[in-house]
Amino acid sequence: MKHVNRRSLLKGAAAAGAVGAMSQAGLLEFAKAWAQAAPWKPEKGAKLTILRWKRFVQSEEDAFMALVAAFSKATGVAMTVLNESLDDVQPKASVAANTGQGPDLFWGLYSLPHLFPTKVVDVTDVATYLGKKYGGWVPSAETYGRSGGKWIALPIGYNGNVINYRQSLIAAAGHKEVPKDTAGFLDLMKALKGKNTPGGFALGRASGDGNAWVHWCLWAFGGNVVDAKDKVIINSPETVKALEYAQQLYANFIPGTASWNDSFNNKAFLSGELSLTNNGVSIYAAAKADAGKDPKMKAMMEDTNHALWPVGPAGKPTEFHVAYPMMIMRYSKAQQAAKAFMAFTLEAENYDKWLIGSVGYLTHPLNAYDKNPVWTSDPKLTVCRDVAKRTLTAGGLGSVGERAASALADFLVLDMFASVCTGRTTIKDAVSVAERQAKRIYR
Amino acid sequence: MPEAVLREPAAPLKPPTLLSRLMVNRDWLGFWFMLPAAAFLVLFLAYPLALGIAYSFTDAKIGQDIGSANFIGIENYQWLIGEFDCKWEWAAFWSRLFGGDFGALGALCKIVGDDQFHLAVFNTLFYTIVASVLKFAIGLYLAVLLNNHLPFRAVIRAIVLVPFIVPTVLSAIAFWWIFDPQFSIVSWSAKQMGLATENINFLGEPWNARWSAIFANVWRGVPFIAITLLAGLQTVPPSLYEASTIDGASRWQMFRYITYPLLTPIIAVVMTFSVLFTFTDFQLIKVLTNGGPAGSTELMATLSFNRAILGGQRIGEGAAISTAMIPFLLACILISWFGLQRRKWQQGEAND
Amino acid sequence: MTDKTAPLTDSSEGMRYLERVPRKIVTVYVPLGIIILVLLFPFYWMTITAIKPKEHLLDLNTHNPFITWSPTLDHIYDLLFKTDYPVWLWNTMLVSVVATVLALLASVFAAYAIVRIRYRGAQWVGGLIFLAYLVPPSILFIPLSTVIFNYGLFDTPFALILTYPTILIPFSTWLLMGYFKTIPFELEECALIDGASRWQILWKIVLPLAVPGLISAGIFCLTLCWNEYIYALTFINATEHKTVPVAIVTALTDGDQYRWGSLMAGALFGSLPLVILYSFFVEHYVSAMTGAVKE
Repeated sequence: MKHVNRRSLLKGAAAAGAVGAMSQAGLLEFAKAWAQAAPWKPEKGAKLTILRWKRFVQSEEDAFMALVAAFSKATGVAMTVLNESLDDVQPKASVAANTGQGPDLFWGLYSLPHLFPTKVVDVTDVATYLGKKYGGWVPSAETYGRSGGKWIALPIGYNGNVINYRQSLIAAAGHKEVPKDTAGFLDLMKALKGKNTPGGFALGRASGDGNAWVHWCLWAFGGNVVDAKDKVIINSPETVKALEYAQQLYANFIPGTASWNDSFNNKAFLSGELSLTNNGVSIYAAAKADAGKDPKMKAMMEDTNHALWPVGPAGKPTEFHVAYPMMIMRYSKAQQAAKAFMAFTLEAENYDKWLIGSVGYLTHPLNAYDKNPVWTSDPKLTVCRDVAKRTLTAGGLGSVGERAASALADFLVLDMFASVCTGRTTIKDAVSVAERQAKRIYR
Repeated sequence: MPEAVLREPAAPLKPPTLLSRLMVNRDWLGFWFMLPAAAFLVLFLAYPLALGIAYSFTDAKIGQDIGSANFIGIENYQWLIGEFDCKWEWAAFWSRLFGGDFGALGALCKIVGDDQFHLAVFNTLFYTIVASVLKFAIGLYLAVLLNNHLPFRAVIRAIVLVPFIVPTVLSAIAFWWIFDPQFSIVSWSAKQMGLATENINFLGEPWNARWSAIFANVWRGVPFIAITLLAGLQTVPPSLYEASTIDGASRWQMFRYITYPLLTPIIAVVMTFSVLFTFTDFQLIKVLTNGGPAGSTELMATLSFNRAILGGQRIGEGAAISTAMIPFLLACILISWFGLQRRKWQQGEAND
Repeated sequence: MTDKTAPLTDSSEGMRYLERVPRKIVTVYVPLGIIILVLLFPFYWMTITAIKPKEHLLDLNTHNPFITWSPTLDHIYDLLFKTDYPVWLWNTMLVSVVATVLALLASVFAAYAIVRIRYRGAQWVGGLIFLAYLVPPSILFIPLSTVIFNYGLFDTPFALILTYPTILIPFSTWLLMGYFKTIPFELEECALIDGASRWQILWKIVLPLAVPGLISAGIFCLTLCWNEYIYALTFINATEHKTVPVAIVTALTDGDQYRWGSLMAGALFGSLPLVILYSFFVEHYVSAMTGAVKE
């Protein structure tokens, strides 16, 4: 325990040094003043352990660790930050919730808190405080954060899952920009394949990228797992159309996407093998971070751009971005300290810097942060500003609850698409398999 | 071993006090000596085994006590195995039969159950059977090769065993990298040699992924089988070969009528182990494909892990999948047990 | 089959005059060479990946991927000093050694009792222990995880130290039974007549004679522990409690980028202790492996 603790803190301190001595001093002063005024007083000798998903953008983590260090110094709360890969956060959190031991705070994905709504602390007071101060929560944040009239988690940030593409290769395939409709988009994918510079989306069990694109596809054609009353309606002509479309897309993908997890498209894109994929802006951020020392990366950065998802027959945007909710576990002995920490991270003095550090990878859940300079400083990042407002929520039309969380955790939609695309089953069989599974989850 | 001599160690010759001391204490002494091993095996093997079967009849979630879980009978098994959905129409049956469409016979009656479970059972059987056969064939061949008069024989034997020493997960990572969809060294070499025009889709296409996983499993399993069979080969008396050479036997005949019969008992044991461990494999698949693409390489062991520990944390359902493996294992053990018994009796050996 | 009196000679020796060198090249050396090449290639690939500069790893076209002219220790440095790798290695060793010692102790008593004390039902118990070897961890880990929670062992080294012996005991008991059987009974009889207790006989007479068996069993147990994955994956939560096989898979990723160099270095270093141990005791290892099967 000690080992990681020390290392994390050292790293945080060093990173804070990198951000700039002045800003760090400023952060600490603010933190001290804030700790005096804040309504949540950490318990005496409180210790907090946070388990978060492992960073995708180094400077995002640096900014996070800087604010962790500032919070720790100002309040005297000893902080430990644990990192787990995206796919591992949910199982760890579930085990902790059911056994009543583990980290105080979890920072996970999508509807994670809804898997165990009774095992987390009510944070309505923090949500109200922040909502009032920063122009209100975006609607999807309310959906993800609330359960039964109270807030059970705060979506600290979103990750805009957008189309990443190479401008030069799109142009060579006869397109100035990524088409705004599904038919045009298929043409683009075909043209890219024709030029021998194919694109591709992850179809392995990738929590982030895989879920993002298959849900977009399902919803774009009007398909849904459940209706507004949580009745299973996945077996519909719309679902079949979505699967047929995905099948056509897959035929024009780069080989191997069915074995991709969240990391494969990053490395393929950065090495120049992949012309178009879906991802956060972390590919661009990685190229940008190395652009100074590597001319190849500089060229890659200049050629990379982002676009929002095309709109399908459903007639409205059907994007599915990643929400990152943070929750306090009920067994925690330092719940006030944890609440103070959650509020602290979303204060403008911290959150603005964090957004800048994450170079567009994280998007804010509070309206006031629309004005953050990161959205205007680099036009290639502007697409991510509104993702929290645009995203649909887990469960689609239905409720964001334990059942939606289960369906997501079982990769119900993703497996349906993967079986069809890889040709393992027919569309009809894949749909009926998914329907049977959905009915068990939503019984 | 001369069992019979040891069994009753010259008891009548010893003074009665010693004899009674031995006999009186024997059972209790045995109990105390067995206690540590028995404690481990009962607490962490027999009890969980029974508990697992009990959990499979509940809807327990992870971390939940068996006491607080709901008993749901065989619902988990019903859900996994499913039920027959038969549309038995004689007209359709005859028309298909006479139309020569024998494959469609199956389509008249099908099982509607958990597709992923059915697939996992198929994958597990396919993986076990194909990998075991390959491991046996290549292992035996390698053992015969190694049984030749070779320079540096000890070194070569030591090298051959290395894949078996190295933890499976670590070599699986190496294979994961070798089978990478974009940066595979094999794809690159094939392209350089003009054998392929684009990258080989090792793990992204259902059958390719199955064969890739089988390759990695065979790679790791062959050394164990080869070295064990080699030890068996070396106990075959050379005089038998000399005699048959004089009788003009061919190499194949020597193998078929001398080597193979003498090797059969050891083959039976080694293959039982191999089949059992392949059947219950977890780590290789978990690291290499994680069951993908679309469940094409999911084994029963990895599926039970996904259901019980990942995903919805349905311990009960996961336990039902694990429990479903037991009949397969028992069948396998019984087959080799009786096969072996017959052998041993024939050779008049002690049975232990 | 178990006729160990037969001389261990090369079976082909008797007819070696039939073999001419060119024929032997085709029938023996070439196939053997190919098999060994395939068996060893993954290790070569691990090594070369571990010392290749990062930018060469994903660029197969400008640099020949099979060799590198600019080896670097960056990946290894990153692995050893920027991750908890030393901690994971220590965890693995601790768990393996303690579990092996526990298992050997329990097995020595059990094997001795079955072979020499011959209490009522000893044969039967011997058969049960062999069956226990055939119960795989992959059907036990789910109920065991709840047992581990209930005993309060979750996420502690004891979760592994106490469960690994169940994998080891059946095997090492079986192996030691074979060794104990070969020790002449007369030695024990004399000691018994002299008034020695069973305990003394075991420690003073039987164990010293069974040292080769203990080494074989110990080495094999260590490799089994080192190789174990599913229990370590299920029962351990915190990064700093993980063992090498588990940690390497889950911890050596940078968000969405795999650090292939460090990953391969980690796989290599994780195997190294075993390979070193094995190279010293290769004969013991082989005898353990084949002995367990032949008994």
